[in-house]
Amino acid sequence: MINDTLVLGGHSFDSRLLLGTGKFSDNETMRRAVAASGAQLVTVALRRFNRDRPGDDLLAPLLAMGVTLAPNTSGARDAREAIQAAQLARELCGSPFVKVEIHPNPHHLMPDPIETYTAARELVKEGFIVLPYMPADPVLAKRLEDVGCAAVMPLGAGIGTGGGLATVEMLRLIVHNSGIPVIVDAGLRSPSDAAAALEMGCAAVLVNSAIAAAGDPPAMAAAFALAARAGRAAFHAGLMGRSATAVPTSPLTDFTRE
Amino acid sequence: MPENAAHSADQATPADDRAASMPDWVDPRPWLPMARHATADDVERALCAVSPDENTLAALLSPVAAASFMEPMARKAQMLTREHFGRTIGLYVPLYLSDYCCNGCVYCGFAADRHQQRRCLTPEEIRAELAAIEREGFEEILLLTGERMPQADFAYLREAVAEAARRFHLVTVEVFPMSTDEYRQLAAAGCTGVSIYQETYDPARYLELHRWGPKRDYANRLATPGRALAGGLRSAGLGALLGLNDPQFEMLALYRHARHLQRTCWQAGVALAFPRIRPQAGNWQPPNPVSERALLQILLAFRIVCPDMPLTLSTRERPGFRDGVAGLAVNKMSIGSRTTVGGYAQNAVNEIGQFVISDDREIAAFLAALSGKGLQPVFKNSESVYRNAS
Repeated sequence: MINDTLVLGGHSFDSRLLLGTGKFSDNETMRRAVAASGAQLVTVALRRFNRDRPGDDLLAPLLAMGVTLAPNTSGARDAREAIQAAQLARELCGSPFVKVEIHPNPHHLMPDPIETYTAARELVKEGFIVLPYMPADPVLAKRLEDVGCAAVMPLGAGIGTGGGLATVEMLRLIVHNSGIPVIVDAGLRSPSDAAAALEMGCAAVLVNSAIAAAGDPPAMAAAFALAARAGRAAFHAGLMGRSATAVPTSPLTDFTRE
Repeated sequence: MPENAAHSADQATPADDRAASMPDWVDPRPWLPMARHATADDVERALCAVSPDENTLAALLSPVAAASFMEPMARKAQMLTREHFGRTIGLYVPLYLSDYCCNGCVYCGFAADRHQQRRCLTPEEIRAELAAIEREGFEEILLLTGERMPQADFAYLREAVAEAARRFHLVTVEVFPMSTDEYRQLAAAGCTGVSIYQETYDPARYLELHRWGPKRDYANRLATPGRALAGGLRSAGLGALLGLNDPQFEMLALYRHARHLQRTCWQAGVALAFPRIRPQAGNWQPPNPVSERALLQILLAFRIVCPDMPLTLSTRERPGFRDGVAGLAVNKMSIGSRTTVGGYAQNAVNEIGQFVISDDREIAAFLAALSGKGLQPVFKNSESVYRNAS
């Protein structure tokens, strides 16, 4: 396949699987899962940075791996909190990326479209490469593209739910109309979900719970990597059309003369 | 009203003007028949519920669920805990600032008629205690007092919160009820959450057990979490003290209280705790003791009906039980706790705590036990920048 790289804010990535790093049983398992996934861009929550206690810190082990980091602002309830978090995260880890994640309700963790838009617009102005986690809303996706986001990250289902591509019809619309990469974030449960997202033209997927909560997280990370590659290859190969009726091998309309 | 209409909740003496009746939004009685008489079919249906509700919880709290469904409940609870909280356990630590109190809670080691030596940390002592706790690695602290007293009043608490907020990312309080405006001031000082347990949701039992003092006001206490959230605190911790009353009644009311807060304060974080009454000064015997097995059933049931709600367990429970429920249903725990005033920087002067701790392991031993179960202890899971931006 020729030059099929994912480009985000001028940075190129060969892997179309992004990993989230929370929820693992220990840092070593997290590190092995990241390595097995082949992910080159991983997200990490600012609230899990802990310079005071190395065993409790997610940042240092990830920096040591040499992967590109996209700190996320999870825990922020509004644009103001997210902007401050992004600034602090950039100071601490030096990455130009930020995944804007604003969920005012700590139970269902659904992203706030209004605050996400406000924060994304401001952070783009401040020079960040902005990746907004967002509801699967085709209009919001274009709004976020218009203000200069490097990608949009619509949810497949709620965080941690394993609901798969519950928003598939909205995702199709977003992909169909988007001028920037569409990365499905949240809700994926199985590698086949990842393959399906890439088959339909999503540029990448971000996975965390499905790997961290799996029986063997590094093995599941490797399985997701295979699925992402398969899905992308299928997208390029071009899926056959879907038909509601069977297609007979003998033509039904070849009896006319002129 | 179904069969339990004659429950003692209806028997509060009208002569006592503080004898509130239960508001409809918390009243559990319509679901008690399900909790008492659920069939195996009811429990199976509850285990498959797509949108769990009061009926789901009632079935899971039933005798037949206890007899025949603990293992399937545990499997479901563990799966949901992993989905929502990963393989992690959040850690926090309590600091008692003062044990002065004027309430007459019959079950409490700090009640006003327990003639023990009272104590209240000075600002210097608070700083020393906070520094000692910080050295242990904690990032979340829970500050506790008794009722509002001249020795430990609102201004005292606000200063303690401000001091704690300089060192910790999350500062929560388990203290006396306040006004919305006071909660607003507390949030400005850096307070992120409040725990306020109703103890019992049965108004009549509540009056029996809270013999005197401001805490005797059932309705005021019930409304307190809502005021705290309206004042800008991010989270409210609810609970009933298991042992004081019929646990099915209490747990259904607790669930309804939590759901009410979620509906009325849409940004609220609601967390639940399940304190079981422990031996304490005075040797008071609880009227409705809850066994360890029954507590486990309650924890599993709540994880299934509230999959995304933090469930907390303190050091009241013994190590084996705590290790067993960690990651199965519980996602947040204290460790290294002292229930005396102070006690982290120097040995407490008054060695009699509010209750007896059952898990007195060193922090390192507890962390090793969690790691051995494939669970990551998490000290820091918030960021003070979120607090300061508000």
